[in-house]
Amino acid sequence: MEKFFQKNTKSNFKQLIQKHSYYFKAMHISEGILSPAVLIGGAAFAAAGVAIGLKNLEQKEIPTVGILSAAFFVASLIHVPAGPVSAHLILNGLVGLILGWKAFPAILVGLALQALLFQFGGMTTLGVNTLNMALPAVICYHIFKNGLKAGMGKHTVIICAFATGFFSVLLSGIMVGLSLYLTGEAFLPAAKLVVAAHLPVMFIEGILTTTCILFLKKVRPEILEGDHVS
Amino acid sequence: MFRKNPHNAVVLGLKYNIFCLIFTMLWLLFLPVSVSAHNVTVFAWVDGDTIHTRSKFSGGKRVKNAPILVYDFKDVLLLEGKTDEKGMFSFKIPQKTALKIVLKASMGHLAVWKLRAEELGEAESKTAVQPTGIKAPLAIDSGSTGIQKNVDVFESTKISLERREIEEIIDASLDKKLQPITQMLADAMNQEPGFTDIMGGIGYILGIVGIALYFANRKKT
Repeated sequence: MEKFFQKNTKSNFKQLIQKHSYYFKAMHISEGILSPAVLIGGAAFAAAGVAIGLKNLEQKEIPTVGILSAAFFVASLIHVPAGPVSAHLILNGLVGLILGWKAFPAILVGLALQALLFQFGGMTTLGVNTLNMALPAVICYHIFKNGLKAGMGKHTVIICAFATGFFSVLLSGIMVGLSLYLTGEAFLPAAKLVVAAHLPVMFIEGILTTTCILFLKKVRPEILEGDHVS
Repeated sequence: MFRKNPHNAVVLGLKYNIFCLIFTMLWLLFLPVSVSAHNVTVFAWVDGDTIHTRSKFSGGKRVKNAPILVYDFKDVLLLEGKTDEKGMFSFKIPQKTALKIVLKASMGHLAVWKLRAEELGEAESKTAVQPTGIKAPLAIDSGSTGIQKNVDVFESTKISLERREIEEIIDASLDKKLQPITQMLADAMNQEPGFTDIMGGIGYILGIVGIALYFANRKKT
């Protein structure tokens, strides 16, 4: 019996950690944490982003968007051991760098399926989560896209790709902290927690994004030229 | 290639489109099959010195006249039996080690249920302990006069049980009984995303791509 109680408290403790690690286990904010105002606001902004993305979408880009959406969907399963909590890959930088505003629909689809199939995040927080992950991607895209154009030196490409992977995760962490802050949590501790938990992820994402971009530059440079991306 | 020959691009797009649609349809075809395939399950629990097993198909239909094989943890066959009309099969505990109960339903269906050694061990020790413990609460629960009488009866053996103590005993035995179930529930809750989920998600995305291409293509033509 003693053993059982020990086990029980242990598992309770584990559940407690799991329950309260919602904002630093992943970028996905779970249901029932944010206030309705934040949820609705996030959904509205996300809807606007998705609309912009879909407006720019051309037929021949649809497969690219789908493939990157699938990559985003699967990336969340790759856990990165980061101290006490395990974070996972997000890949929003890569998605943003290739798709621009179309990252919004791609990430929305990926997040919806993650919520439905993996129970990451939730349906009510879909808008906020989409905004938190897609907006940094779009911002980084607009900052760093010129570094990837043809004629740029290899070093510039590497630096820009790495920075995109790194900063989109960092900005996402800050935005998650901001969402929690708007609900009433102290901003700095929340944001610090998220960002600290994702530090290793940022570096890994930076390296991954660089590798992918260098590969794409060799194999399909037209994808990065931005001639079919707004 | 796309820019030089727009016609070629349309044809290519169409081919891709058709491929995606076919893929989506195949996916939709396969998905229900894998779900509704007659999954069999066997569930075993310990009651005193016997083990009961109940076998079901996924739809809730009982598995009748199917052989059940009981192995120990070293995969040595201990005993064999057949499910009855209700899908039930019961047997005495052959040994107090971990047991593996295998149901072999028709058409190559197989289900396994593992009983841990502690489940069997606890059941055994409980049957030995229970008589003294359980008689008292059963009699006492009937009322305050009952308590008085029983206290008299037990006075000779110097056992007096207060209501609180009885509750503690019941709680303890309930905890023991429920432990495997709570663990099972916990295991079921904490499942990591499986292969089906991942492939399902990718399939959904491909399906969405297919549908999007379909509509984009229709707008053009």
